Amino acid sequence: MLQVEDLHAGYGASEVLTGTTLAVKQGALVALIGANGAGKTTTMRAISGGLKPSRGRVLLDGKEVQGLDASRIARLGLAHAPEGRKVFGPLSVEDNLLLGAYAHLPRFFGFRARARADLDRVYDLFPRLRDRTKQAAGTLSGGEQQMLAIGRALMARPKVMLLDEPSMGLAPVIVQEVFRTIRRLKEEGITLLLVEQFAKSALEVADYAYVMERGRIAVEGTPAELSRDERVIAAYLG
Amino acid sequence: MNPSIIGQMAVSGALMGLVYALIAYGFQLTYATSKSINFGQGELVMVSAFFSLTLMNLGLPYWAMIPGGLLFGALMGLAVERAGVRLALEQKSEGWILLTIILGLFFFSAAENLWGRDDRPFPTPISADPIHVLGVDVTRLELSVAVGVLAIMGAIELFKRRTLLGKAFEAVSADRDAAELMGISATRTVMLSYALSGAVAALAGILVSPITTVGPTMASALILKAFSVAVVAGLDSGFGVVLIGMFLGALESLASFYLGSGWREAPGLLLLILALAVRPTGVFGKAAIRKV
Repeated sequence: MLQVEDLHAGYGASEVLTGTTLAVKQGALVALIGANGAGKTTTMRAISGGLKPSRGRVLLDGKEVQGLDASRIARLGLAHAPEGRKVFGPLSVEDNLLLGAYAHLPRFFGFRARARADLDRVYDLFPRLRDRTKQAAGTLSGGEQQMLAIGRALMARPKVMLLDEPSMGLAPVIVQEVFRTIRRLKEEGITLLLVEQFAKSALEVADYAYVMERGRIAVEGTPAELSRDERVIAAYLG
Repeated sequence: MNPSIIGQMAVSGALMGLVYALIAYGFQLTYATSKSINFGQGELVMVSAFFSLTLMNLGLPYWAMIPGGLLFGALMGLAVERAGVRLALEQKSEGWILLTIILGLFFFSAAENLWGRDDRPFPTPISADPIHVLGVDVTRLELSVAVGVLAIMGAIELFKRRTLLGKAFEAVSADRDAAELMGISATRTVMLSYALSGAVAALAGILVSPITTVGPTMASALILKAFSVAVVAGLDSGFGVVLIGMFLGALESLASFYLGSGWREAPGLLLLILALAVRPTGVFGKAAIRKV
């Protein structure tokens, strides 16, 4: 469903990605792990169009999307829940969710009725958001903002969802909740690329994983294979 | 001091102040989406007024001219965005400041060449005879300014709050990159905000021209006051500009009556300096609500 081939990208003169190649099959949950600064978030941004790759290809459902505007890639079916959550702080929880579905809702009137079923699905997944529909997103707790960011991405009915560091800065109890949610998403058949610092938890939920080092994939395999790999154990699972 | 004269002066001043508020609102629209404003907005008011006058000289009735004038303003707004703002924003430079000033000068020279330097009357079917309301005299013309200003601001605010496109506007304003990830094109949203801002400037020109006449310099004083109002109220204050605009208008009119007409410009500058010193986010400006 998502294929990345020999991706090069960076900021100005410094190249962060030096030929990243990975693939996410339909319905699979793929984890991307690695140390800080290895290029995980840069990979995500280069896929979703926030950063223009200097070389390489990104295929979404077989269609080349590298170099397109982020908004165009989003309309083609890629939802990116970015690092740091990036909810629309001054807007209400419900408005945030509605904007998540912007690509397939009417622009002027009747959008709320059309989004009803998707909204209910998100509220069923995150009951705490239902109690706060009118609240400004910026006043939610970090965990709730993360739920909102995931819910907002779900509203797009994406072909592929990118989840960047969903556990960042959250209390351990909330992190567990986030991973329970990720498991739910997987059971619902959503195709997911997950970037995580908690390599252990990520490998527990993933079908396949890539380990990044200095801008390229160093090791890849199923979680079972990786947890036998001595280098991976020493560096990330120890 | 005669209280009825004070009331009279304050009311007519406040009604004129609504024009400042409307132009200031035009600044807010583009500032919200792109953190940029058109420093040549006054010239947009002026060329749109001239264009509307030309439409009427060609035989179009007043009411049919208004949509034409607004459309012209919107197109000019788009031209400013394309020529003066977009490239600068893409390069994250502040070049739009200089470019919009230059475009303003260009509009000014173009207007002088096309329509001449003289001030011309702007005909209107709305009567300028005073009517008596609650102890003060106001003209229908002055009231039409109030109705026009509040109607267009109300309509745009409703659009922003009630439609999904309007919410997208606010999303771009809150976080441009995140909005792009939702499939919202930030470039188009900024274009739309410049078109709306241009239409608002055109309406300001159409509303104020019957009172002030039309000429190349008609907006130079207006625009300074509009800047003061925008900064004093806050560039994200919404309807805050209405209150500050009316307040400043009333203050000016009282200052020129009691202190002499040379003092007319003083309150605007004093308010501006005071606001910058005491409350740079503006009286109604919001400090961003954000939790990380």
